Amino acid sequence: MDIPLLGKNARVSDKKIAGLHFLNVVRVVWLREILIYFRDRPRVISAFMMPIVMLILFGEGLGGIIELPGISYRQFIFPGMVAMIVLMNSIFAGVTIVTDRQFGFLREMLVAPVSRTAIAVAKIFGGATIALINGVVLFAFAPLMGIDISFLIVVKLMGLILLVGFMLTGIGVSIGSRLRTPESFQMLSQAIIFPAMFLSGVFFPVNNTAKWLDFFVQFNPITYAVAPIREIGLGNELEKVSPEVAASLINIQAFGHTFTILEELGVVVGFSLLMLWFAVRGVRNAS
Amino acid sequence: MKNIEVNALSKNFKDLTAVDKVSFDVNKSEIFGFLGPNGAGKTTTISMLCTLLKPSTGTALVGGYDIISDPGNVRREIGIVFQDTTLDERLTARENLTFHGELYGMPRAEIGERADALLARVGLTARAGDPVAVFSGGMRRRLELARGLMHKPAVLFLDEPTIGLDPQSRRNLWDYARSLRDSEGVTIFLSTHYMDEAEACDRIAVIDYGEIIALDTPAAHKSALGGDVVSVTGPDLEVLSSEIAQTFDIDPRIENEKVEFNIQQGANFIPTLLDKLEQSVDSVSLRNPTLDDVFVSLTGHQIRDGDISTTEKMRNVQRTGFGRRH
Repeated sequence: MDIPLLGKNARVSDKKIAGLHFLNVVRVVWLREILIYFRDRPRVISAFMMPIVMLILFGEGLGGIIELPGISYRQFIFPGMVAMIVLMNSIFAGVTIVTDRQFGFLREMLVAPVSRTAIAVAKIFGGATIALINGVVLFAFAPLMGIDISFLIVVKLMGLILLVGFMLTGIGVSIGSRLRTPESFQMLSQAIIFPAMFLSGVFFPVNNTAKWLDFFVQFNPITYAVAPIREIGLGNELEKVSPEVAASLINIQAFGHTFTILEELGVVVGFSLLMLWFAVRGVRNAS
Repeated sequence: MKNIEVNALSKNFKDLTAVDKVSFDVNKSEIFGFLGPNGAGKTTTISMLCTLLKPSTGTALVGGYDIISDPGNVRREIGIVFQDTTLDERLTARENLTFHGELYGMPRAEIGERADALLARVGLTARAGDPVAVFSGGMRRRLELARGLMHKPAVLFLDEPTIGLDPQSRRNLWDYARSLRDSEGVTIFLSTHYMDEAEACDRIAVIDYGEIIALDTPAAHKSALGGDVVSVTGPDLEVLSSEIAQTFDIDPRIENEKVEFNIQQGANFIPTLLDKLEQSVDSVSLRNPTLDDVFVSLTGHQIRDGDISTTEKMRNVQRTGFGRRH
């Protein structure tokens, strides 16, 4: 009776060890991503430069021209800026897998007895974390944009940024694991970021766009990431306007249906899992 | 006891057969050399044994585990120093080691201790906190060797380990490799195209165009050649060569503006040679055979540093081509 029990226990603890090792690999690979981010000074400096550029461009520039019902464009664009920062930082974070391959370090990780899934998950969390750091810097500028932002809103936005960052870094790692040079990654990610940004409601309420544009907007997964960020980010401002106006600013109507925030988050989670799957496959075939 | 058992391992890239049904065994605590020119299939073989590349056919056991069905356990058993550097330049020397220890699931306390001990052993203690970006080629190699040993592997792969190293660093690396074999029983598998390096191995497999053409100890390789190498120069090498062939019933070759042949007890033969030859001779020299001679006699061509064969050219096309590597 003792022997099978021992065998069973041994297997259980093996699994436990494997599970702990998985988490530990995620932790160290993630830690390295963050470490090399902070050692790359230009990247850190740009975290502070981008919000200032956006503030001038959207706050002072476009803010004076575009008029929206109920709230100022400056207020409207603030959550859009958060989304933009997350979008750029997350997708771009996928470049580390390209440089890791170029400098050979990817082989150091692939030849180690570690799960490929752990490497992909850690890279994706790393990008999401960097997006979060950049997003938090932006929050400091909220008062300048005329946004009344509470502690609760900040906490909710941080959670949202992590989730959206996970989805977008998933795109970055999926692409990065299939490319050989940072240059090609740069070109391809730009080619994705710009149209995705314009067709996601970052700059204007998506309900006002032309019909043919609507088509792209509703198939763009990033649309469903931008909307919750706007709904949460403008929380206090939306309470000051009528429900109809608020709805016109934040609602997405796609496939003949008005999405609730939970449905939007569902789309984001679903697309995140799909991207994770692509990223894991990419890392697995990367050697 | 065998630590590596390779069985009819092959790798094809489209039309190119990079490794062609290679079979060999490596014993425990042995320094095993893979000698061949660039593009002979050395790195491709190592990549397959390290589970980074799937073989087209055949398989191998490394550290007792199958590289195809059990790559996870193979990875646990091996350490590797790749041909080109795989360090993270933005991390410090010590961080590169501790990161490695974490990846291999070593206990936290052991990671720090072992990292410090290995840094001391490769003479990098004073530079432990510097980012690798400022390291010289020799320092990087030493650090990579230390990293490959972090998790106490049973088998250590060294792919062209001394390329770009100064003579002193090369000597140190070799001393260290030998001490690893002798004191810790590590099996070392190394590839090289340097003859003097192959000379220091316990056994050498000569590989050319993806096939192993001979496998033995350096001494046995040399004695298989049939004695010492006698080189003769004269005004007309062709005539000299054919006269030697006829008079002494041996098979000379013309190599580097010299007529060369192998003969037992060469020193005793030279007086007879000069006595009987009618052709004029400018010089005669005698040397013990080198692995160079072995390689030439086995393959019919010389091994040269930086000599890129057609295979290698095709392989380079492969590498830069569509998403394939090695």
